[in-house]
Amino acid sequence: MTPTVKTLVNAEPEGRSAFLAARRTSTAVELTMTVLTVAVAVLIAFLVILATGKDASGALGALLTGPLDRTPRIGRWLADATTLSLLGLSVAIPFRARQISLGAEGQVYAGALAGALVAIHVPLPPVAAVLVPLGAAALAGAALGAVPGVMKARLGANEIVATLMLNAVVVRVFDYLLTDHLRSPASAAIQSDPVRPGSALPLLSDFFGVPLDQANIGLFGMLAVAAAVWFLLARTPLGYRIRMTGSNPEFALYGGIDVPRTIEWSFVIGGALAGLAGAHLALGVYGGLQPDMAGGLAFEGIVVALLARNNPVGVVAAALLYSYLRVGGDVMEQQTDVGSEAVTIIQAVIVLLVTARALPELVKRHLARKEAGR
Amino acid sequence: MEHRDKPPPALQVTGLGKTYPNGTRAVSDVDLEIPVGEIRAIVGQNGAGKSTLMKLLYGLEHPSAGRIRIRGLQVRLSGPQDAITLGVGMVHQNLMLVPSFTIAENVVLGVEPGRASRVDRTAAAERTAALAEEAGLAVDPEARVDQVSVGMRQRAEILKALHRGARILILDEPTAVLTPQETTDLFEAVRRLRDSGMTVLFISHKLKEVREISDRVTVMRAGSVVGTVETHEATAAELASMMVGREMSLEVPRTPARPGATVLRVRDLAGPSVHGVSFGIAAGEIVGLAGVEGNGQTELVELLAGLRRPTAGSVTVDGADVTRLDAAAHRRAGIAHVPEDRLSNGAALDQSIADNLIVDRYARPPLARRGTLRTRRVRDLAEELIRRYAIRAPHPSVPAGALSGGNLQKVVVARELSSGPRLLLAAQLTRGVDIGAMHFMYERLVEARDAGAAVLLVSADLGELLALSDRLLVIKDGRLVARFDDPAGLTEEATGLYMLGVEQHTDERITAGVG
Repeated sequence: MTPTVKTLVNAEPEGRSAFLAARRTSTAVELTMTVLTVAVAVLIAFLVILATGKDASGALGALLTGPLDRTPRIGRWLADATTLSLLGLSVAIPFRARQISLGAEGQVYAGALAGALVAIHVPLPPVAAVLVPLGAAALAGAALGAVPGVMKARLGANEIVATLMLNAVVVRVFDYLLTDHLRSPASAAIQSDPVRPGSALPLLSDFFGVPLDQANIGLFGMLAVAAAVWFLLARTPLGYRIRMTGSNPEFALYGGIDVPRTIEWSFVIGGALAGLAGAHLALGVYGGLQPDMAGGLAFEGIVVALLARNNPVGVVAAALLYSYLRVGGDVMEQQTDVGSEAVTIIQAVIVLLVTARALPELVKRHLARKEAGR
Repeated sequence: MEHRDKPPPALQVTGLGKTYPNGTRAVSDVDLEIPVGEIRAIVGQNGAGKSTLMKLLYGLEHPSAGRIRIRGLQVRLSGPQDAITLGVGMVHQNLMLVPSFTIAENVVLGVEPGRASRVDRTAAAERTAALAEEAGLAVDPEARVDQVSVGMRQRAEILKALHRGARILILDEPTAVLTPQETTDLFEAVRRLRDSGMTVLFISHKLKEVREISDRVTVMRAGSVVGTVETHEATAAELASMMVGREMSLEVPRTPARPGATVLRVRDLAGPSVHGVSFGIAAGEIVGLAGVEGNGQTELVELLAGLRRPTAGSVTVDGADVTRLDAAAHRRAGIAHVPEDRLSNGAALDQSIADNLIVDRYARPPLARRGTLRTRRVRDLAEELIRRYAIRAPHPSVPAGALSGGNLQKVVVARELSSGPRLLLAAQLTRGVDIGAMHFMYERLVEARDAGAAVLLVSADLGELLALSDRLLVIKDGRLVARFDDPAGLTEEATGLYMLGVEQHTDERITAGVG
């Protein structure tokens, strides 16, 4: 019996510092990898543009510096990131409960519709004029989220099919209502009346005195929501139930967690957040309803959640990064002869790299080999 | 040329270590020297580093320190391919064969006879049959793997290693899946291989088998080699004490039970695979439930835990009817449950140890207040349970899946026992757990009993039941067939007669005093 054995048994603090150090390292590696993933995607897009014989460096320059060139572009970037963050958070919560909810698109339109209807037609005192439409939007999104939630949790319906089909229905209903009932007679284009001035989300340009396009206080609202989602998941019993249900539903059941109820809540909360994203579009960005106002953002929210691996703080960071590329892509399209399809390539490569988790694995393997060689 | 008087050992490792990126030090500073033609057993508790060591030797993991020499030649194994090329074969605990292929096809997989692009099936079958004959491992080369017994699959795995020219054979817990007869056959074949010059590494934690098969035994503990002894010179007790680091008896010290009032009353309970079961358990007694696996034990425990709904009968705990309530209500009634398969529903593997420890109490004070989880208290509780239950983990936020089987079981037991249950349902408390942890669990179980819990102990290990039970029930085909109110002196053989249905108690005797 050697004395080393005894020290090993009592070596808890020593193992602890090693564990904590290893955890810090791996967090740093993960962060670096996420940035690197995007960089690799940009590089691949660069090579593709180069292969088409166009001015690749000019296009890349426009893509990467364009959004910061003028303050209105910064504003567009922030407004886009706000919507995208809310959508990313809205799918991250069901994802955490291991529910693949693709219903954000329908929920965005439901939220926009409910929020705009209140904001256009109901006169309200200040503050309430903003908060009530937001609440209506969240409620509409939540109600729409509850439908597939209940179908999945109680009836065992496939949530992917349920949410996608519901999207199809809701978007058509939205289009119908907008074209046939809500269309502003004063306007030539298909759009609703503008929301009452008191209900529009206050613009950031009014605070900062520089033109910031449609960026509005929704940005701070979104940051608060992200913090709340983090708190929900990490620090509340409901968040605990969501995490356990997502990790191992059998374990959750065994532990006495009401798994169907938890699944429903994850859909409802996700729906409410997507509804808020819709309100941000209707009350902040467009000041009313327009056809196709979400423009595919709902599905980009899924990419953002993936990229952030459902971490609320990560979702905000990923959305900022992603929106930056979207705005940069528009600038690139305007200033060069390269279309914003290049951005689609970047997005596709990001999705592929992230879902395959190819880069982190390769780097980790490389590091391990280096360590082994020492 | 080197000295011819002493050939180099088949395998020699010096200072071998493996630290995982998450900081877990699985193996540290291991020296090992195994001569050609020796059967060397490697024993140790769960998490002692046996499996990691073998993975290092087979190239599945890369060492963070130390050297490996095979037949005197220093090697670096970048993967199993390198190990196979150097004549190292491994038979995994979970067999790795293609189920829809025949045995012969599996044996030659990767090194097929015949020209490229075509596998010569006849040659494969002949080669397999010849190898099987030579090694004394009976297989049917033409049979499909998914249609043969586990024993034959394992023999096919060994033949596969032989076909690839293995001269060092690693067997990782080979007997875990075998019947006694298959084990005897395997040992015979292993001896025959040894006599033809094969070096065998035999990983196990079953001391009895180790003493039967090996020439020498190397004991590992906490990632290090404690020592190597000649098998015929070591007793089981010596080996056990080397494994756990203290002298220990294989007896469970316990005082006679002092049963109090009846806690659990089960009347005519019926459900899937359970047909009209009646019994009671008093505070402060351990009631064992014996039976051949698959006779309704699993279902009975899940009925009592609220994970299944009964079709008839009633269950009361401390007089309160819980028959139709859900799992949460059962927990509120003071029922704790160590599930028989910790991986399927006993833990959330990608969540932290702390989160795994609080699933039954996360929503109420002191851990939650005004809708908020108090993470500081959760962490303190986890730290305390990790210490009290000797869970080998560096930090409460380590994911439960990073723990070895025995340590994960300790997490489950820590959670269930620390809730201070009125009724404890303990199913397969020590399955896959090593001898040290086993004793620990027994002590905790008796402790819970003495604290006034009613305990239902279900186990496939009859010895364990007889050692721990204050009363013993036997279940067969979903019905209770025997009841022993004083199992002292009862033998495994005698109990076996009831388990197999050769003998039976009358219903009056079984249900006497119940209800």
